[in-house]
Amino acid sequence: MKLTPTPKNTSTAKLSVFWSSLRRNPMGLVGLAMLAFIVTVAILAPLIAPYDPKSTSGITSSDIYNPPSAAHLFGTDDAGKDVLSSFILGSRISLIVGFFAAFISIVIGGVVGIVAGYYGGRVENILMRVTDIMLVIPDLPLMVVIIALTKPSLFNIIFVIGIFGWTTTARVVRSQTLAVKSRKFVMRARAIGAGNMHIIRHHVLPLVLPLLVVQAVLTVSAAILNESTLSFLGLGDPTSPSWGQMLNFAFGRGAMSTGAWWVLVVPGFGIVWVVLSLTLFGQGLEQVLNPRLNTHHLMPGKPTVQNGRVDLDQEKGALLEIQHLSIHYINEDKTAARAVEDISFTLNKGELIGLVGESGCGKTTLMLSLLRLLPAAGQIVNGKVFFNGKDLTALSEEELNTVRWKEISIVFQGAMNALNPVRTVGDQIAEAITKHVPAMPHDKLQERVTELLDLVGIAADHKNHYPHQYSGGMRQRAMIAMALACDPQVIIADEPTTALDVMIQAQILELLDSLRKKLGLAIIFVTHDLGVVAEICDKVLVMYGGVTAEYADVDTIYNEARHPYTQELLKAFPDLTKPKKKLSSIPGYPPRLDALPAGCRFAPRCPIAFERCRIEQPSLHAVGAEHFASCHLVEAVQ
Amino acid sequence: MLLKRLGWALFTILFVVILNFFLFRILPGDPARQGIRDPRLSLETINAIRVRFGLDKPVINCFETLNPIKIGSCGVNPLDTQFFIYVGNLLKGDMGTSFYYNRPVEEVLGERLWNTILLIGAGQILAILLGVIFGLFAAWKVRTALDYTALISGLVAWSLPTFWLAIILLFWGTNMGLPIGGKATPGMSSYPFMDQLGDLFQHLFLPTLAYTIIYMGEYMLIMRSSLLDVLAEDYIMAAKAKGLSTFQILKDHALKNSMLPLVTIIAINLGFTVAGVIQIETVFSWPGLGGAIFESVGRKDYPLLQGAFLLIAICVILANLIADLTYSYLDPRVQVD
Ligand code: SF4
Repeated sequence: MKLTPTPKNTSTAKLSVFWSSLRRNPMGLVGLAMLAFIVTVAILAPLIAPYDPKSTSGITSSDIYNPPSAAHLFGTDDAGKDVLSSFILGSRISLIVGFFAAFISIVIGGVVGIVAGYYGGRVENILMRVTDIMLVIPDLPLMVVIIALTKPSLFNIIFVIGIFGWTTTARVVRSQTLAVKSRKFVMRARAIGAGNMHIIRHHVLPLVLPLLVVQAVLTVSAAILNESTLSFLGLGDPTSPSWGQMLNFAFGRGAMSTGAWWVLVVPGFGIVWVVLSLTLFGQGLEQVLNPRLNTHHLMPGKPTVQNGRVDLDQEKGALLEIQHLSIHYINEDKTAARAVEDISFTLNKGELIGLVGESGCGKTTLMLSLLRLLPAAGQIVNGKVFFNGKDLTALSEEELNTVRWKEISIVFQGAMNALNPVRTVGDQIAEAITKHVPAMPHDKLQERVTELLDLVGIAADHKNHYPHQYSGGMRQRAMIAMALACDPQVIIADEPTTALDVMIQAQILELLDSLRKKLGLAIIFVTHDLGVVAEICDKVLVMYGGVTAEYADVDTIYNEARHPYTQELLKAFPDLTKPKKKLSSIPGYPPRLDALPAGCRFAPRCPIAFERCRIEQPSLHAVGAEHFASCHLVEAVQ
Repeated sequence: MLLKRLGWALFTILFVVILNFFLFRILPGDPARQGIRDPRLSLETINAIRVRFGLDKPVINCFETLNPIKIGSCGVNPLDTQFFIYVGNLLKGDMGTSFYYNRPVEEVLGERLWNTILLIGAGQILAILLGVIFGLFAAWKVRTALDYTALISGLVAWSLPTFWLAIILLFWGTNMGLPIGGKATPGMSSYPFMDQLGDLFQHLFLPTLAYTIIYMGEYMLIMRSSLLDVLAEDYIMAAKAKGLSTFQILKDHALKNSMLPLVTIIAINLGFTVAGVIQIETVFSWPGLGGAIFESVGRKDYPLLQGAFLLIAICVILANLIADLTYSYLDPRVQVD
């Protein structure tokens, strides 16, 4: 039977990708260079050692503990021997023990991990229990006991270190195997009856291997540390002195009282060198395999480019006014991603605007920029955000903190992640109030929290529950209650209903709409689904590839859409009067924001694109009163 | 859940007891056989040992001895075998007699246990405290000079052999006039209490410093990466959107969440911690359990070695249990009933 092969890139191509990302990893490179150096020393040891550490000819008592000199670069030891030579030859022992012991550990750990992860059930249970026991029993004392009861020899040391060093590998490999097992091609191979051994060899192992390599590097470093410790404790093989043993001799034979620091420092330095090189190399490999962004929400953001503060007249202006806002993501050594460009809209008291577009069109970026919550790489490169005439792009963080939540709050997408899992929901709502009304007495605060939860239909006795005890819909309501906590004037709702079932979606929408009417809120409703906002919106702004595709009041958008993208979105929207009609979705994906097309951003997917679209970017044309669209066709019509 | 964890800990302890017994019977250096050949012991002591360990009796049903393997009768009364006599003695708190000290093992180790707990306690608290603080700053100021310095010093500390760091510190410390080892200056017990305490601190200083440096690096690295994960979470952005200051966010939203993984790692690490303690106590001749292990290897004092290993293993298992329970107490997502 022919089996579907694992999607295998050619291994050479993979290697070159790997090498090029390792080259950009200073930590891994330094480690690799340090390692290469010491391995070379170990291989050439007998050739480069200035003296033969085994011979005692020509050594007199005046040679004992001589400080470093031209004849003995690192001095001499308690037997008058050259420390540098013993050091060079000792590198062999450390590396040999490290590599062979790690080999044993990796084989055991790899087999245990793969078998446990792949077979699951009882086998997994037993194997993981054994691993747990091994992990909890202190290994060094056990190694000491075993070696003390047997004969200290190189073989015994390798064996004992190897046999105790596999637990971490087993755990890591098991979870990776579990992940691999549920992949499609493995399931398919199983379904068509491939043997377990075959699947493990051809499908699981190749995907676990990179991880195993990282583990191997780290295990070698741990094994070398263990060898040096055992040798230092006097359990090393006396016939092949390692660095640990040199230290054992020096420490036990008066180097400390003689002040012979060189005998103590040099071998230890060797151990640190090898272990550090392996650690750095291992960490480097790990980073190459699992790149981490290393960014977070508390990093200082990039300063707004147009930083001059120009407030508007509060009386005349709208509640929220966004003018020509442009936001770029600026990553080192990459082209800036132009996430949002030249977006303008206004929002009045009690109004609800829908911000519509597929994911990856810059909606979330735009929304986060209003309160300047952008990730560290994001920068407002142009434009202004006015709230009641106040220029939010120019406020300091402290000033902004008085606007955040108090005036403008956010209902985040996916309330599960936006609520802190280890604090109760009530506590997190109360926190927002306390921040902005610090003087509120405790009982009034609790009353207010209960009232807010009541407003969104959550019973008071859920107040002291944790987010994981809530259902999905309840969490989203709790998020809304939290957004209402400080009586804000504007609420930004970022896809508040995605990932909820239709019934609950409808409930949440209704809730938001009724709150708007009751409390006079202005709402920015971010969504990828035109249908969702149809009934509740006043205005709609359709975004595509970071720019405004079309902006108009809701009736105009639904009845007289002019931009091909809006028209396509409307086609994708299920018509309730014709329930049988098939949904069409626009083929293709929105453009990558760091590789935007030269002309119209919609051109690659536009069904009626023509020559000019690919060359020239259309500007935003007014098509009617308060109706704008950015399409060359619109201009042509006028 | 609580019962299950307790049962699991008991099971592990039982496993260690069995392992401890058979290891010493299977491997060449049987303590009893060794001990009886030991010329330091008087005839009465040898006889007392023979009776207490039941050395004339089979090791366990079906086996007369295990090294070399000698098959015996399977029909003997299990309670009349060496294994069950050993377990029975353990339950009575009798761990045998130290060859070197010629005193009951439990007595010798009892004093030393507290010294070790003192050292681990002081070192562990400092290491956790400093590790958390440095890790917090490193993660908060990620990709700055501060972060890189912390990262590299953490990796270097991780790569240091504990005993070597201890030697270097001892070398430096003795030049600075600190005591060269032990727990107290001889003859100190006749001095006033405050002087004794000061003396203890002087002796405790270097071992604790070594311990702290070794484990602080690791805790810092863990804290850093765990905090980096937490600070990238949506609820941190939500906290920022609420208008909370950076300090408030770190204190109220990031610290507890990022310390949870640390608790697990500390629990897992306890076994490794012992490795560090053995080395530090050896170098500083600190009279603790770890030192006892090293000394008994050199002196071939097998009953003490066996006892010390058992005691250390039990302590680690119990500490692990406590850490486990602490975790489930801290994290509301884990239920303990
Ligand atoms: S400008 Fe051209 S490509 Fe762009 S939307 Fe209009 S017709 Fe389509």
